[in-house]
Amino acid sequence: MARLRRAFLETWLPIGILITWQVLASRRLLNALFFPAPSVLLSSGWEMLKSGELAVQVGATLSRMLVGSGIGMLGGLTCGLLMGAVGSVQRSLEPIVSALNSTPKLALLPMLMLFVGVGETARIVPIALTCFIVLAMHGLDAVRSVNRAYVELARNYGADRRAMLRRVYLPASLPQVFTGLRLALGRALVLTVSVELVSSTNGIGSMIWMAWQTFSTDKLYIGVFTAAVLGVVFHNGLQWLETRLIPWGNRAGRA
Amino acid sequence: MRLRCSHLGVSFASLQGLVCALSDLSFETREREFLAFVGPSGCGKTSLLRVLAGAVAPIEGEVERIPSAADRNQDVLLVSQEHSLFPWMTVMENAAFGCEMQRVPRREREGRARELLHRLGFASREHSYPHELSLGMKQRVAVARCFLSDPAVMLMDEPFAALDCQTRLLLQQELLDLWEQSHKTVVFVTHDVEEAILLSDRILVLSRQPGHVVAQFSVQFPRPRATAVTMTEDFLFLKKRVAGALGMKKVDEAEVTAAREVSWRG
Repeated sequence: MARLRRAFLETWLPIGILITWQVLASRRLLNALFFPAPSVLLSSGWEMLKSGELAVQVGATLSRMLVGSGIGMLGGLTCGLLMGAVGSVQRSLEPIVSALNSTPKLALLPMLMLFVGVGETARIVPIALTCFIVLAMHGLDAVRSVNRAYVELARNYGADRRAMLRRVYLPASLPQVFTGLRLALGRALVLTVSVELVSSTNGIGSMIWMAWQTFSTDKLYIGVFTAAVLGVVFHNGLQWLETRLIPWGNRAGRA
Repeated sequence: MRLRCSHLGVSFASLQGLVCALSDLSFETREREFLAFVGPSGCGKTSLLRVLAGAVAPIEGEVERIPSAADRNQDVLLVSQEHSLFPWMTVMENAAFGCEMQRVPRREREGRARELLHRLGFASREHSYPHELSLGMKQRVAVARCFLSDPAVMLMDEPFAALDCQTRLLLQQELLDLWEQSHKTVVFVTHDVEEAILLSDRILVLSRQPGHVVAQFSVQFPRPRATAVTMTEDFLFLKKRVAGALGMKKVDEAEVTAAREVSWRG
């Protein structure tokens, strides 16, 4: 009963909006150019899916996003863990990292195009940079907040450097790293679509922009909806992975 | 292994400045002895064990580790009251951690751990994580890990202090049983006089901060012991004396001196 109630509470609002929208649109109370009926969106979405158009755009966005965030997260995590482990590295890099954190990465795009030309590299660098910074900050925090009690416990049992890393530091910082991953992927998606909006010929962002310019509002809606779905998929996917990889629960092991 | 401490002084930094936790503390453990320290809260018991474990260096005096040929290794292992298990390891991994660090092959160490865990009632919970266990179960695993590593000296820092009365009795009995099979040197720290008498061969009473030894009692109840011994009159008599030395009831200097000389026969 409680589950039913929860399911209802989580779905009644979007379903209600959709029904109202559909009813208003089919009675021509809404302008079909601005607010195409959900049934229309559904059928044109299905068309785009069947023709493979949507898949091509989503593929372009995903590959851009995954290449960028892959490079950025790997580098950022390495950098963050290094900062956490070595004091001098931290003191040298932290000011730059936190300064970059508050810089809007999209604002770097023109500068990057100036440096490396109008191409894929200029689009991927901001995405990579965003992920780099998020992971660097979370990696640093993860290492720093490992509870000293566990380090001392392992040392008492004669853990060497390797064992200390593998059995204490790594698992203890994993939950925080995962939080970083989730945050980074969310931001990477937002940034990818933004970059595509301003400077790309493919991808969801570019599709949305094209739809706006050609006034094909159904594609506009479908583009935005697809981006939202991707966000949810990434978020839930990582959450699922987290419960598999961190079965001991999220906050344990931290100071 | 024996531990010999001479004129130990330990202090640590706190918000109020440097706090002197121990001063001029001297004692020596005997071979394969269960030695208990009792003292009021905040008398530096935990500091003492951290020094004995080698986690912090004393500012005065020294700790000598006198090895004996009978020990398999020279480990001095600490069982603490809190954070005694790694939250990211299962019961099995935690229990076998000491053996893992000693590079015992996985199959062998898990076999040994499984045997002891089964005895302690973990038959179906070997693969649980610590957050799924009660406090009593956690401390069981911590004690099991210590015994499985078979160290030269075991240090125990009020491992049962946070447990309810019944669980504590149960774990005390289990510790007695385990210890009586191995007779390792143990230094056990507690504020519970009854616990100290029940478990130990000898009790050293610490004063308030800065802690130093004010009295010594030898406990000679026959072994193997059972928790039922706490009901006997002899037990109560000794308990009164130790509590007296602790300053739990008002005692004059002469009585403390008398207590110091008591060698009690049970």
